[in-house]
Amino acid sequence: MSERDPDAELLEGVARQDPAAVRSLVARKLPRLLALATRMLGDRMEAEDVAQEVFVRIWKQASRWREGEAKVDTWVHRVALNLCYDRLRGRREVPQDDMPDEIDPAALPDAALEARAQDKRVREALAALPARQREALVLNYYQEMSNIDAAALMGITVDALESLLARARRNLRAQLAGSGLSKDKS
Amino acid sequence: MTPERFHQIVEAYGADPRRWPQHERAAAEAWAAAHRAEADALLADAAGIDAWLAADKVDPPGAALQQRIIGSAPVRRPSAPRRKLWWSGAAVAGVGVLVGMAGAFAVSFFVLTGTVPQMHESSYLTSSFGGSSADWSGE
Repeated sequence: MSERDPDAELLEGVARQDPAAVRSLVARKLPRLLALATRMLGDRMEAEDVAQEVFVRIWKQASRWREGEAKVDTWVHRVALNLCYDRLRGRREVPQDDMPDEIDPAALPDAALEARAQDKRVREALAALPARQREALVLNYYQEMSNIDAAALMGITVDALESLLARARRNLRAQLAGSGLSKDKS
Repeated sequence: MTPERFHQIVEAYGADPRRWPQHERAAAEAWAAAHRAEADALLADAAGIDAWLAADKVDPPGAALQQRIIGSAPVRRPSAPRRKLWWSGAAVAGVGVLVGMAGAFAVSFFVLTGTVPQMHESSYLTSSFGGSSADWSGE
C-alpha cells in the first residue's frame, strides 16, 4: 500500500474552510513556494506576488482536489512554475542586469555584506541560466525533489533531467571561472 | 556501476551522495571507494559548485505576507458554543411554561368560583393615616 500524501489531509481541511488547516498549509508551503519563485524570477517582490497567487488558486481548487491524481506538493509547484513562466515571458525585453540593489552598504557589517554580495552573485548566475536548466536545478537542488518527481513535474524523462542538470552545472562552473556562460543555451 | 555512469551522476547531482538517485547510491559510493583518485578529482570539482549553490539563501516569508495570504482564504465563521445555546433556550422555555401555568390557574379559579380573586390594595392607595375600611371605634 502506498503512503498517503502528507499534504492531502491539510487540503481537505482547507476545503472545509478550517482556519487551522489554512494556517498550517501556509506555514508548510509558503517558504518553499517563495524560495522557488525567488530563484526562478530573481526578484523578491514578484516572487511574493506569485506565492500569493498560488494560494488563491489553492483556495479555489481545494474542494475539487482528488487525492491520488498527483501529489499536492507537485501540483502547487506546477502552478507556481506556470506563474513564473508567465512573468518571465512578460519581461523578455528587460535586461537581466536590471535587478534592483536595495542594500545599503553602510548598514551592514563586513560578513553580512559579503554574504549579501555572494547571494547576489549566485542569484545573477542562476538568472543567467536558460530557464529550463534553472528550473531543473532549482527543483532538484534547492527544492530537494527527487529526480523522478522533478522530471515528472517538468514533463520530461529522468535522462533529460540529468542532461539539463549537468549543463546547468557546467554553465555555473564557467561563470565561476570568470569566463561567462558557455554557449550551451538549450 | 560504470565509470561513465559515475561521471554522469556527479555531473548532474553534485558531490553529496545524499543527492544521488536512491537506487544507484550504494553502487556509486562503492565505485568511488574502489577508484579513490579518479572519484576524488571529480567530486572535488563538483563540491565547488555545490558550495556556491549552498551559499544562496532566500529570506523566509515575512509576517505581513503570511497574514495577507491567510486573510485571503475563505474560512468558516466560528459558531456559538452549542451548550450555551441549549441552556438559554431551556431557560426561555421554562419561563414560558411557568407563565402559562400561572395564567391557567387564575382562569380556572375564576371559572370555578365565579369571583375574581381578591387582590390586596396596592400600597400606594393607602397610608398609615387612614383609608382602611375597618372600623376600630368600638375598641
